[in-house]
Amino acid sequence: MSKNTLVDVKNLSVHFPVHGGVFSKRVATVKAVDGINFSIDRKQIVGMVGESGCGKTTVGRAMINILRHVAPDVEIGGSIEYHFGDEIVDFASLSSSEVRKYRSRVQMIFQDPYASLNPRMTVAQIISEPLQLHTDMTNKEQAERVGWLLDKVGLQPEQARRYPHEFSGGQRQRVGIARALATNPDLIICDEPVSALDVSIQAQVINLMMDLQDEFDVSYLFIAHDLSVVEHISDKIAVMYLGDMAEYGNAQDVYHQPRHPYSKALLSAVPLPDPSRKNRKRIVLEGDVPTPLNKPSGCAFRTRCPIAQPACAESKPEFKEQAKDHFVACPLVE
Amino acid sequence: MPEQQEISLSILKKRWLKFKTLKRGYYSFVLLVILYILSWFLPLLVNNRALILSYEGEMYFPVVSGYYAGSEFGQDVPGETIYRQLQATWETEDSDNWMIMPVYPYSPYEDITVTGNKMYDPPSSTHWLGTDNTGRDVFSRLCYAFNISISFALVLTILNYFIGVLIGGSMGYFGGKFDLFFQRIIEIWSSLPMLFVIIIISSIIRPSFFLLIFIYTIVNWIGMTYLMRAEFYREKSKDYVAAALSMGQTNFKVMFKHILPNAMVPIITFFPFAVVGGISALVSLDYLGFGMPPPTPSWGQMLDVGLQNITKAWMVFAPISALFSTLIMVVFIGEAVREAFDPKVYSRLR
Ligand SMILES: Nc1ncnc2c1ncn2[C@@H]1O[C@H](COP(=O)(O)OP(=O)(O)OP(=O)(O)O)[C@@H](O)[C@H]1O
Ligand code: SF4
Ligand SMILES: [Mg+2]
Repeated sequence: MSKNTLVDVKNLSVHFPVHGGVFSKRVATVKAVDGINFSIDRKQIVGMVGESGCGKTTVGRAMINILRHVAPDVEIGGSIEYHFGDEIVDFASLSSSEVRKYRSRVQMIFQDPYASLNPRMTVAQIISEPLQLHTDMTNKEQAERVGWLLDKVGLQPEQARRYPHEFSGGQRQRVGIARALATNPDLIICDEPVSALDVSIQAQVINLMMDLQDEFDVSYLFIAHDLSVVEHISDKIAVMYLGDMAEYGNAQDVYHQPRHPYSKALLSAVPLPDPSRKNRKRIVLEGDVPTPLNKPSGCAFRTRCPIAQPACAESKPEFKEQAKDHFVACPLVE
Repeated sequence: MPEQQEISLSILKKRWLKFKTLKRGYYSFVLLVILYILSWFLPLLVNNRALILSYEGEMYFPVVSGYYAGSEFGQDVPGETIYRQLQATWETEDSDNWMIMPVYPYSPYEDITVTGNKMYDPPSSTHWLGTDNTGRDVFSRLCYAFNISISFALVLTILNYFIGVLIGGSMGYFGGKFDLFFQRIIEIWSSLPMLFVIIIISSIIRPSFFLLIFIYTIVNWIGMTYLMRAEFYREKSKDYVAAALSMGQTNFKVMFKHILPNAMVPIITFFPFAVVGGISALVSLDYLGFGMPPPTPSWGQMLDVGLQNITKAWMVFAPISALFSTLIMVVFIGEAVREAFDPKVYSRLR
């Protein structure tokens, strides 16, 4: 662990109990995240990919400590240690009230630009809310900062008095970015920030986010569905499958020399005009993704893995550093 | 250019502008508001006490200061001064004393014990809607009952909303055990035959305005609570709430600053209909004789004595038409509000 580390996620698990029956007894557990390890350095962009339902959003929400809000009985294990200066703060074990004063350091940009802005508040009110909570700026200073931020994200400061419904999806997402940046956070969780946007403006928004990352010296956990977006922008890539982390390493390594069978399959589906891999074979995965309610024993991927062995059903594969900074959860490819 | 200068309007403001274009509802709203405000000044408009009175060079304000014995102004009557008579006497005598009476100089309480009042007096220029079985002026009672009916419905509705937002909002927002606990309570509560409970309570304790409000609130809080629970439950999982929480906003602020303004649609659209419910509730209780204690002027009680004296048409006609026109105006308002809130206009935002 370098001293540049911003956050160290160790053995994080998130389990949602499922209740049923007359007395609301616990009947099952959704293992949305099941013991994952990774870390994010300062000013680093970590891309996180995986199929729908594999727990990416849950990881992101655990990292800003808001899971308990929607699911009060959620069980969170492991630790999420943030290194803020000399302080080490574990977001997994602190209560919401204890976390409050660190909240300005970690922010989130949401997937749906329509649901993530309060329709009853003006843009100025939306962006100045974190300023009110975490700074002692006067109203005038706040208004100035809002104007400045709007300018940074490519909107006009005069638009501050407008309501979200007067903006397009792309513009709203820019407002969301301005809000996330307002308090100069150390980390921004970007949960599929462009997937709800029109293809023609996705690139614009991503480029803007990259410019801002540079300017604000912030780290990103960039969650996305597919590898092609993530490869361009990330320093590191984390591949998730059904609540487990399959592979984690430098973007170049994971992208060009994927080791885990699941990452290989994901990559083979990326339609890129890359001459070096022109003749690669597309690996088509058989079968459906199992549900996190009923995970296969041993390696969760074994029901679809092309190289699965009987031994894979026995114990969960170790998440091992197979090459320098390249972690893989599959002993068969070592 | 004009595009740029157009001021941004909040959704609520837009809906208000839309409401104003719906004439029937808007005019009903304006009229009702004016009438209700006026009804708070009824003691100055419809009353049997003089507004200002000058007797032997001294000024009196009986409307404000209350009871003056007749002897005080040289009137030979037992008990309180009869100002109308006194005024007539002074005018014929051409004395220096003078008084200004309210526009309609009859109180809702003075019955045949006051000289000059008769039972079953048909409508005339003095008693616009005649008098009832105890000689009380029907028009005067009608006016005061209007104030009581609307006030009752408003206080009841606002109280129900307050409880509904507080309990229902918390149920939806916090969920878990709290939610479960109140759900069971509501289920048990709503299976009690409430009309009988009310009748039993008010036959034991002498009801008053606030006791009736209290009893009805005990019955009615459930409706709004369920609505608010659903609203808060839906809104709390939206990302703007997650955003507010992730920046460290407190639950209280999230509930009332973020979610409540987004849960206003049922609150506002339901309001007129809740008022209709409140007015009707009071009328039916009064009609059955379990409502406001006599001699409080009330439409239900007037309807009751009217129907007992069905041949005296004015006594039936007056409360029915007052009730009918008030209710229909509130319904018009409700209709217009609903149309103004119609989601189709703001397809994406509701
Ligand atoms: N509050 C909750 N209660 C129960 N189960 C939940 C809850 N939140 C998420 N889950 C489950 O956890 C799993 C992971 O969900 P999550 O939203 O993290 O997936 P995701 O990777 O973000 O998917 P997507 O790509 O579709 O956004 C899903 O199976 C989901 O059903
Ligand atoms: S552990 Fe076995 S099933 Fe899992 S990925 Fe490796 S080979 Fe496939
Ligand atoms: Mg997601």
